[in-house]
Amino acid sequence: MSKRRSSIAARAGTVAALPPIGAHRVLGWRPPLWLLAALVVPLAGPLATQAQIAIEKQVLVVAPGKWTGLRLADGQPDVQGHWSNTIGNHDNFTDPQAGTPGDPVRRRQLGPREERAPSRVSDPADGQLPYQPWARERQQEFLKYFFNPIAETYIEPLARCAPAGPIKSLFWHGYEIRQFPGYVLFLFNSGSRLIHLDGKPRLPDSVKLWNGDSRGHWEGNTLVVEVGNDNAKARLARTGEFYSENAKITERYSFDNTGQRYTYQATVTDPTVFTRPWTVTIPARRYNVTDTPSGWHYEVFPARHAGKQPIVEGYERTCVENNGGFGEVALPKAAPKP
Amino acid sequence: MTALAMPARLVARGLIARGLLAVLLLSPLVVTQAAVAAKAGAVPRAANGKPDLSGIWQTTSAADFDLEPHSARKDAPPGPGIVVGNVIPYLPDALERKQRNFAARNEADPRLKCFSLGVPRSVYYPEPFQILQRPRDLTLLHQFGHSVRTIHTNGTEHPDNPNDWWLGDSRGHWDGDTLVVDVRHFNDETWLDRAGNLHSDALHVVERWTLVDANTLQYRARIEDAKVYSRPWEIEVFLHRHREPNFQLIEDYCFTLDYDSYYPLPVTK
Repeated sequence: MSKRRSSIAARAGTVAALPPIGAHRVLGWRPPLWLLAALVVPLAGPLATQAQIAIEKQVLVVAPGKWTGLRLADGQPDVQGHWSNTIGNHDNFTDPQAGTPGDPVRRRQLGPREERAPSRVSDPADGQLPYQPWARERQQEFLKYFFNPIAETYIEPLARCAPAGPIKSLFWHGYEIRQFPGYVLFLFNSGSRLIHLDGKPRLPDSVKLWNGDSRGHWEGNTLVVEVGNDNAKARLARTGEFYSENAKITERYSFDNTGQRYTYQATVTDPTVFTRPWTVTIPARRYNVTDTPSGWHYEVFPARHAGKQPIVEGYERTCVENNGGFGEVALPKAAPKP
Repeated sequence: MTALAMPARLVARGLIARGLLAVLLLSPLVVTQAAVAAKAGAVPRAANGKPDLSGIWQTTSAADFDLEPHSARKDAPPGPGIVVGNVIPYLPDALERKQRNFAARNEADPRLKCFSLGVPRSVYYPEPFQILQRPRDLTLLHQFGHSVRTIHTNGTEHPDNPNDWWLGDSRGHWDGDTLVVDVRHFNDETWLDRAGNLHSDALHVVERWTLVDANTLQYRARIEDAKVYSRPWEIEVFLHRHREPNFQLIEDYCFTLDYDSYYPLPVTK
């Protein structure tokens, strides 16, 4: 783990100098100056929304370790609430702040690679997926036709309201985590994931699911989840990355003891598509009542109630019903004419 | 409160919590009361003392085929209906619309597109749903369409200027051991069943959820919609806990099935 961490630090340029994340206290926590500086990252390209989505260049890695934060009655670390990734959306898997190559609308003048957040692929060290040659051709083929989908198969399933799959869901919109005895529930903008901590057996291999079958347990500050049964129909990003239905994913969600940050690191093992296992790293931060709601990271509204403490609630998530891809929040006031 | 004055089920909980020593200290009379309560199926309770509705539930009724009593049809088993008084009190023009829906039911039912079923249909639809309960809310995770409904039980109220939701806006409170849920702010897109029973965006549902024993959940709902019905009416149906060993929901994003075949598993070289 330490090797992986230093690898990310080297590519991000600044992480090695960060204060240890576990040092912050729950109460009175203030983001350190480096973090405030990173919140406003000037990006190439005119789109303010992209800057709002990609709020940091650094990949903040929370190491697995002890949990000293709040706990629920059943002993689970209490990580409930709203979360979102910090470095970029699903435009591009390995160059998260570069947009999708070939985008005819959002053209960007890209500076040197090191000015942007590193690849989500943290192992291998070059940040590239270790595809078998045929598989890289398939990924490139999807990317080639992404903006000109001459066949149904080149349309991103997420754009048709399908769930994003276990990895991409974590860097699409913000999401909510709810916890219950025996379960951790992720409510995404598109779809949901119920992670079983209840010891029930996995579903049979013949059952294939958009969001896979998830069995987890807590190790200190880290939720460890084994994912299988993925139908492998989703793509990991608009750049077309994929794995097969034979993929086994081991996820580690490591939460900082202040409860403000977590790092997702997942190892994908899939000999059908890759020459060796690889690891994806996604940094995330918490959103709470002091944050301004946004149509990307934090899709909430203030609840109406007599008390003084602010309470936020999420919007109902529908997609296929509205013939639109962003739930209720981003629906246009009037439907555009076809 | 003395042990004698405690309701039998509280005594039953106390037995579990305090162990054998407590049993030895209690009078024979109270022990007998506790045993009777347990035999009748004492309901599970959350740490805050409220009934714990957590679990996976499903109706065995034919309600989704037709809320009203009906004999067998090619597309529906017979059923006694779950409408109190048997007949939905439609206004005349609404009854005509219902009859048109019925005639077109095998093409026009929104369930065929896997749209969110709405309330109360999502409750008696014949697929399992899971209730996950916290003091502040209940999360209803429906297998069908994998739609998610939150029933808030933290004292919050319906929003002032709401959208119209597919599942409505659900605010609940505990009336003794019954969860009472006020559901408003619906759209008019959903049907109540496969027979084309309908409502408008003025729909207002008041649900009453009561555990009658550990494995049976009584569901009652008062349905009001002045644009469609001449008076409020009620339904009542039982939901049963799935007790098969290791039973669990399987994700069912059925709206993806229409384009599923465009995404062959990309393992073909």
